[in-house]
Amino acid sequence: MKRSYYLFLGIMPAAILILLFFVVPAIWGVYVSFTNMALVGKAARHLQFIGFQNYLRLFRDSAFLTSLINSIWYVIGSAILGQFLLGLGLALLLEYTDRKNIKGGNVVYGVVVLAWLTPALVSGFEWGAMYNYYYGTLNAILRMVGLQRVNWLGNFPMVAVVVANICQGTAFSVMIFNSALKTISKELYEAARIDGASYWKSIRYITLPLIKKIAVIDLISITMSTFSGFLLIMTITNGGPGMATTTLSLYAYQTAFRNFRIGFGSSISVVLLVIDLIFGLVYLKILKKDLT
Amino acid sequence: MLLRWKGVGLIVTIALMIVGISVMAIASSKLTLKVWYPDEAGIKPKYIAQAAEAFEKDFPNVNLEVKRFRMPPGDFKTKLLLALASNEGPDVIHFSGYSNIAEFADAGYIMPLDKYVSNWADWSQYPQSVKDGVTYEGHVYAIPYGLDMRWLYYNKNIFRSVGLPVPWQPQSWNDIINAAIVIKERAPDKIPYVLYAGVAGSGGTMDQGFLPLFYGAGGKFYDSKTHKWIIDSPAYRKALEYYRQVFLTYKLVPQEVMTLPKPWTTMRRKIAENGLGILYEGGWVYGGFVQNLGLKRTQETVGYAMMPSESGKPFFTIGGSGTVWYINTQSKHPGLAWEFIKRFNTKEIVAKINLEEAHPVARMDSANLPEFKSQKYLVDSTEALKYAKYPPLQPELSKIAYRIKLLTGAVASGRKTIEEAMRDYINDVKADVGANNVEILK
Repeated sequence: MKRSYYLFLGIMPAAILILLFFVVPAIWGVYVSFTNMALVGKAARHLQFIGFQNYLRLFRDSAFLTSLINSIWYVIGSAILGQFLLGLGLALLLEYTDRKNIKGGNVVYGVVVLAWLTPALVSGFEWGAMYNYYYGTLNAILRMVGLQRVNWLGNFPMVAVVVANICQGTAFSVMIFNSALKTISKELYEAARIDGASYWKSIRYITLPLIKKIAVIDLISITMSTFSGFLLIMTITNGGPGMATTTLSLYAYQTAFRNFRIGFGSSISVVLLVIDLIFGLVYLKILKKDLT
Repeated sequence: MLLRWKGVGLIVTIALMIVGISVMAIASSKLTLKVWYPDEAGIKPKYIAQAAEAFEKDFPNVNLEVKRFRMPPGDFKTKLLLALASNEGPDVIHFSGYSNIAEFADAGYIMPLDKYVSNWADWSQYPQSVKDGVTYEGHVYAIPYGLDMRWLYYNKNIFRSVGLPVPWQPQSWNDIINAAIVIKERAPDKIPYVLYAGVAGSGGTMDQGFLPLFYGAGGKFYDSKTHKWIIDSPAYRKALEYYRQVFLTYKLVPQEVMTLPKPWTTMRRKIAENGLGILYEGGWVYGGFVQNLGLKRTQETVGYAMMPSESGKPFFTIGGSGTVWYINTQSKHPGLAWEFIKRFNTKEIVAKINLEEAHPVARMDSANLPEFKSQKYLVDSTEALKYAKYPPLQPELSKIAYRIKLLTGAVASGRKTIEEAMRDYINDVKADVGANNVEILK
């Protein structure tokens, strides 16, 4: 009884903060999504409960459907295929260098973490400068070797933002996997080696099963942060050209804070939340299935 | 004796305390008037200070709180609206952009100024067209001082180097395209032409991109008789076909226009630095050129022309009521707010600030001041306003403008054909403003 009392006291400050800054705004956001709330026009004066009208309109809105598809590609490309797999690969590589006492691992780790520490806004401007058609670093290199300039942002906008996000966010996965790998006992590898298992087999049958839980947590985290992040895209492509890189979070921002349709913008955010939940449930389901 | 002095001392101390408390009470009972204005270029503060000085001289008991926001108008709008919606806004609001009057008035943020202007002799100095630009549903809601117009700028050095005529006045849309093709062929390291498109272009996509083409093709946005938005007409398709040609067919406009965070900042700089050939932009941009290059070098480097219609005349510009003052409906001291506006919108301040910001003046007497008349550029801008076309002053305009950004972006990026983009535009606008409030012209 006494122990649970202390536990309760211990989590209270964090619980209050989460309640105030996450749960209450989320509930408020859901409520607002059922209203016509706006910052301009007659709706600003006459707040009305309009039921599912915002949601019904969403699925007829061409910009919403485009940004939904863009979001899915962005998450699959930069979070699942990019940050997750690259993060796992780099962590394994670092662990390998550590085990074999190969120097330079810490430098690689430092560089990766440095990219993660760079604020998204700064990183976005850096990538924008890299991709710029006229003065960008990439095209300067191409011209130095006698090749034609490439219109990176015009012709490959989604690839451009995916690559930028992979470089910025991979460090998180590296750190998560690096910590997970450190928890695996070296004796296990030693035993496997004595039994004749190759390096790849020990990865397949020892490492991956033991870090599966952590992998799911990583996947949930990076999926959610990629879905909701928009600063990087806003600074590199501003959602363009056309709507080629406008994701749901950027569209929600534009709708709520550029067009001042708070109710409609909130409904986009709620859909985003639901998609996040679906991804989370799918990941957990996969994990549960593998454990049973 | 000592006791007596102690008594006197006590009485004096108490008296001083009472005086002090009274002074503090009077000081704290001073009225406070809040003024907010956005300014990135740093031109406005000294003129705001002049108005503030005159105001404080006449109203010494009013505590005037002037706040400058170093941010673009779009960001300021967000900040302002959030403040107004939570009743935390200022008494006096400085704003730029014609499209806001109707949506601000409908939201109940700004108050009608009819009773003030009817007793203000200076109001007779404002031409009827200017008054119409700030009148919504029969009420005056704003006091303008610098008007908006737009030019088709061209870089004289690039034009001369590729053999194009200087001065230049294109006679049709084809003339613009042909000039840009010449620049592309003969000066491949220069950007031939910039036309704003997509969401990245912000307000420029509408006012400096789509509108001049749409109006040049004889388009009409709003039917004031039926009170309906016209959401499809041949003018839409002609304007979009022009976008398609300059972005995709001839590749005259770089796709970066749709990806840069603030393309206007980059492109204004490029045309002044001989990196860009042709740019349709706000008349006020000339003020920025003068600030950076000086008047002489600006005149040598940048030329300006009127926008032609699709196949020739009439030449025209896109007009707007420009920078204006509003009074917050929630203001407890609207009379004082008005007094501040009056002290800013004097003949002299209006003339001087517009000399620096390069806007045609809203007051006729300001335009008659010799220093204003001596600036050829400003005289030309004021003259061009006679041929101005204006967007409709309706509260839904910003919703339409957003859909126009998506429409132009979809076509200019090649993501959608004109037909596909128009189909989405029609459906989206119908949902935004109501299917009963739109009509289609074949």
